[in-house]
Amino acid sequence: MLRVGGHSITKKLTRMNMLVSGAALLLACLAFVAYDVLAFRQAVVHNLSIQAQIAGSNSVSALLFNDPREVEKTLSALKAAPNIVSALIYTPEGQPFAAYWRDRGGQAPPLPAIPTGQTEAHWFKDGRVVLVHSIVFQGKPTGIVYMQRDLKDINERSARYAGIAAIVLLMCLLAALQFSSIFRKSVADPIVNLADLARTVSRDKDYSVRAALTGSRDELATLIETFNEMLAQIQERDGALQKAHNELEQRVQERTAELAATNKELEAFSYSVSHDLRAPLRGIDGFSLALLEDYADKLDADGKDYLHRVRAATQRMGILIDDLLSLSRVTRTEMRLEKADLGLIARSVAEELQKTQPERRAEFRIEEDLGAFVDSHLIRITLENLLGNAWKFTSKRESACIEFGRTQRDGGFTYYVRDDGAGFDPTYADRLFGAFQRLHDKNDFPGTGVGLATVQRIIHRHGGRIWAESAVERGATFYFTLMETRHRGA
Amino acid sequence: MKLICGIGPLRSAPRAGLTLSRSGHLSHLIPVLLAWSFIGVSSLQAQQSKPTEYEVKATYLYNFGKFVEWPAMATAANHDPFLICVLGKDPFGASLDAAIAGEAINGERVLAKRISKPQEALNCRVLFISSSEEAQLKEILTTLEKTSVLTVSDMPQFTRRGGMIQFVPEASRVRFEVNLTVAERAGLTLSSQLLKVAISVRRNSQPGD
Repeated sequence: MLRVGGHSITKKLTRMNMLVSGAALLLACLAFVAYDVLAFRQAVVHNLSIQAQIAGSNSVSALLFNDPREVEKTLSALKAAPNIVSALIYTPEGQPFAAYWRDRGGQAPPLPAIPTGQTEAHWFKDGRVVLVHSIVFQGKPTGIVYMQRDLKDINERSARYAGIAAIVLLMCLLAALQFSSIFRKSVADPIVNLADLARTVSRDKDYSVRAALTGSRDELATLIETFNEMLAQIQERDGALQKAHNELEQRVQERTAELAATNKELEAFSYSVSHDLRAPLRGIDGFSLALLEDYADKLDADGKDYLHRVRAATQRMGILIDDLLSLSRVTRTEMRLEKADLGLIARSVAEELQKTQPERRAEFRIEEDLGAFVDSHLIRITLENLLGNAWKFTSKRESACIEFGRTQRDGGFTYYVRDDGAGFDPTYADRLFGAFQRLHDKNDFPGTGVGLATVQRIIHRHGGRIWAESAVERGATFYFTLMETRHRGA
Repeated sequence: MKLICGIGPLRSAPRAGLTLSRSGHLSHLIPVLLAWSFIGVSSLQAQQSKPTEYEVKATYLYNFGKFVEWPAMATAANHDPFLICVLGKDPFGASLDAAIAGEAINGERVLAKRISKPQEALNCRVLFISSSEEAQLKEILTTLEKTSVLTVSDMPQFTRRGGMIQFVPEASRVRFEVNLTVAERAGLTLSSQLLKVAISVRRNSQPGD
């Protein structure tokens, strides 16, 4: 796979070499052959012209003294020039005077006109050259020489040259092919190696490797050096990043451990405090009751009233301590995740709520089949709190409607508990979930302000989020999510 | 040496812009006519009907001049015109004058002259001895012995008898034979071109043979 990519540039270089040298050679050969053919043609015409001049000069007296046989004798010497097809002498008036035919006698050809002002003209036609030369003797036109020569030798020569050119071209291309290995060593191989290395680095993320330097000081060497420098920089940065990451990780772990320890201490402290507060409280309550029962006759109405108040306060404090213990327990107990139907739990909670105040006209609309992967004990506490709140804050209404359901939002499930009760001022929505935070007067709606704090802890322990939307006297909606993977698993 | 004749002029450009033309093409008729008018009326007539024997001979007389080199002494004495003389009864008539009208050899005007005595032939370059003078041939040749006059005749046995060029009829053509020894003795140089077209060239005959 790597080699294929590597070969392509080598092939390209070789092909480029061959193409350039081939084109140059071909052009050179073409120019050479063309020049030679042209020069040879010129030489042929020149020689033919000389032959015509000689034949003309030698025919002057014969022309003037009307002796065609003598001219024919002269012309027959042209047998020595096998390319001459025919040679004829005409009188100045254009009448054929004497003729020579290489092969066998023919009809005297019509005499082409020589352009005015010239004594000689030639034409290339049908693989032959025709030359017409005017014989001028003593300033007077005395006759005309007509000569026809074939171009077999030129054509043979051209063919021979084309053959030689082809052989030279082939040999030069073979040589170029050989020389291209030098290019490969100095250009292609370093590039191929560099490409291989880059691919390896990219694939293995190993920045410690380095490309080998070539001997020469060219752009390729610069490229390799820069590449190596880049690798070094990446390696350095990678190291620094890894170090920073490790440090951060360690610090987080330390902090987490510290935090966990502190949290544990705090929880243990609050548990023991709550637990230990119970005993004296029981004492206060017990002895207040004893006073009321055993010394009722010795106390006046005010005394009895004070004792009743002491007892109410101790009982409230008892509930508060229970809530605190519950909150503490929620955080401390082990999570036991299992598949549970939240709708089923909600219905059981709703039934219990209705039992406490059977006279109230309140309707529960609870969705069915809300399976999730949760700690069902903790989720029950959550629903007790949320549905209990809804029940509590709708208590001033003639009739109430409390909903529990699930919607799909942002790719996950969101559960909601909605009521049409008193609601709350949304400005304080962020204070809802703090312990001992209350938005309503305890005389309007009783409570310790620990419930929603407990709920938030449970939801957080399930990897979820809780928030609320409301407006005063417009009801409230509490939303919570659970860790997504749990739903998927469910 | 300025009067050297021969084939040299081939290399020189034509003096007048003569146009050669093939016959039978209407488009070239005008240049042909121009050329002919330049060459001369006699040529025109010669082309159109078969030339008579003496028309041919007249042309030959003139053409001989082109292939013969006279010694410098002879040419210096009578430079221009180039005289072609006819001794005795003139067989050419107007055809000789027609043949040479307007012609020149080596830049010298060519003129014809009729003479009756050999003494008058001293200025001539070419002398045609008419058959009417056959009886006096020996005297005539003796008179011209020390001169450089090219002697031409159509009387039989002319070269054998000390003449230089003799016309010989052959079929429908006119040919000639040459006595080179006599010509050389007179200081004349006959071009090989001329000798090439002669029927025969004698080299050893003595005058009065």
